[in-house]
Amino acid sequence: MLMQLTLGGLSQGMIYALIALSLTVVYRSTTVVNFGHGDFVMAGAFLSYVLVVLAGVAFLPAAALAMIAMFVLGVMFNRGLIRPIRGGPHIGLALMCIAAGYLLRGIARMVWGREVLPMPPVFDMAPIFVGDLVITGDAVFIIGTVLVLLLLFFGLMALTDLGKMVQAVYQSPRGARLIGLNVDRFNDFSWGVGAALGALGGILVAPVSLLHPDLGASFLIKGFAAMTLGGFGSLGGAVLGGVLLGIAEQYAGAYLDTALIEITAYVVIVAVLFIRPQGLFGRKAVVKV
Amino acid sequence: MDTPEPLLKIRDLHVGYGKKPILRGASYDVVPGECLTLLGANGSGKSTSMNAICGFVRPSAGSVLFDGQETAGLPPHRIFALGIAQVSQARDLFPDLTVEDNLRLGAMRRGGKELTQTLAHIYDRFPRLKERRKQATRTLSGGEQQMVAIGRALMSRPRLLLLDEPSGGLSPQFCEEIARIIDTLKEDGVTMLMVEQNLNLAFRAADRFIVLRDGEVVDGGDVRAMAGDHDAIVRNIYL
Repeated sequence: MLMQLTLGGLSQGMIYALIALSLTVVYRSTTVVNFGHGDFVMAGAFLSYVLVVLAGVAFLPAAALAMIAMFVLGVMFNRGLIRPIRGGPHIGLALMCIAAGYLLRGIARMVWGREVLPMPPVFDMAPIFVGDLVITGDAVFIIGTVLVLLLLFFGLMALTDLGKMVQAVYQSPRGARLIGLNVDRFNDFSWGVGAALGALGGILVAPVSLLHPDLGASFLIKGFAAMTLGGFGSLGGAVLGGVLLGIAEQYAGAYLDTALIEITAYVVIVAVLFIRPQGLFGRKAVVKV
Repeated sequence: MDTPEPLLKIRDLHVGYGKKPILRGASYDVVPGECLTLLGANGSGKSTSMNAICGFVRPSAGSVLFDGQETAGLPPHRIFALGIAQVSQARDLFPDLTVEDNLRLGAMRRGGKELTQTLAHIYDRFPRLKERRKQATRTLSGGEQQMVAIGRALMSRPRLLLLDEPSGGLSPQFCEEIARIIDTLKEDGVTMLMVEQNLNLAFRAADRFIVLRDGEVVDGGDVRAMAGDHDAIVRNIYL
């Protein structure tokens, strides 16, 4: 039972980790918290739905296409709407993100209204039984995909020159300009990567849940909770926070009350802010000039 | 004196922040191989000069010619690629990256082919950085961080090095060390433009000086010719 819950939580937590990581990528590059990010996740899920169900594309190429499209959207969003107002107050940036999110949601509602769409199952594989433990194809696919992606992401960041340059931009934009980096272009890139990773979260949950235009809202909160738990602004913390949140939800739902699954994220946010505001991996607030 | 063709030619430069003008028609030259110091009171336009040369602020009028090419209005990364590197007052290092990463990053956009040799050269010059090359720069002392900042700028093999307050916040012994560093850079033929509040260091290290007041050049000359008469310059700066 405990193992089963942990596996379920891990599989769900990997999605949260991906979303929290993608929010952090955007936050670290431009210090903008993308309040529209949940709708990027939704858009990723719907794009893959359209490609798979309506256009008949196979799941993997559809996922790749949806991620590329969301990368481009993220870049365009930063270029067109965020960069021009970056010198202004933070509330303006937050509202711009919310507006963009609602725009995406509005488009999805216009097309699908209040319909709830089932995505055909993709990971059609007989479950594996290990003792009492049932390992579903979905879990294998989600955990496997995200693990590979995380290894790739953190490997690139820590070991390559490109990753070091991204870290440089995150740690000191002015320092990055002093070594001749085109910081605006790195920020575009970060927004693109953030949008694509968030979209992948949506693409991965699409086959195991129902699609509706409002699905982003809850993922946004889960992402925030994971970031808060891990330490706001910490890339590794976002991942760990996501995984812990996913597992905590399952435990709380099973051992306490199923209603708690939905509010675990809120409880986590409140508890962390009271007990350890910097989160697990956070240092003091990241101040950028 | 027979002056060579300037490496940097600044003509009638105007820069303002919002409505407030900082530089109001400053003109001066930096000739190859020299170390020129900008002097002046706070707000006279010294740092603004530096930032305009690097492209961090856009001049509203005037011209910045680097080796014959107009750079006013170019973005910072384009100006850096031409060979102008700045050691800023705040140093602007990457605190969580190691000393070696900070240095190597200096050569990502310029000087990459000679990266290994330049790095070895910098470690020769700053043995302390070699000892600490695996340490995060945030764990270093102020003086060591200043060495990293200078080393990082040198990694791009700049043709013009801008030094904004290199002695800022450092101990007197370290000021002497900065002066020695500038001497060896001059021996290597690096052209430098420096802003320095510490007049002892400014006169010890520089070949020439100019004085800015209210965004214009009001005085200037050869440092050696002024030896022993720093009072006159100080009066000119602050009164």
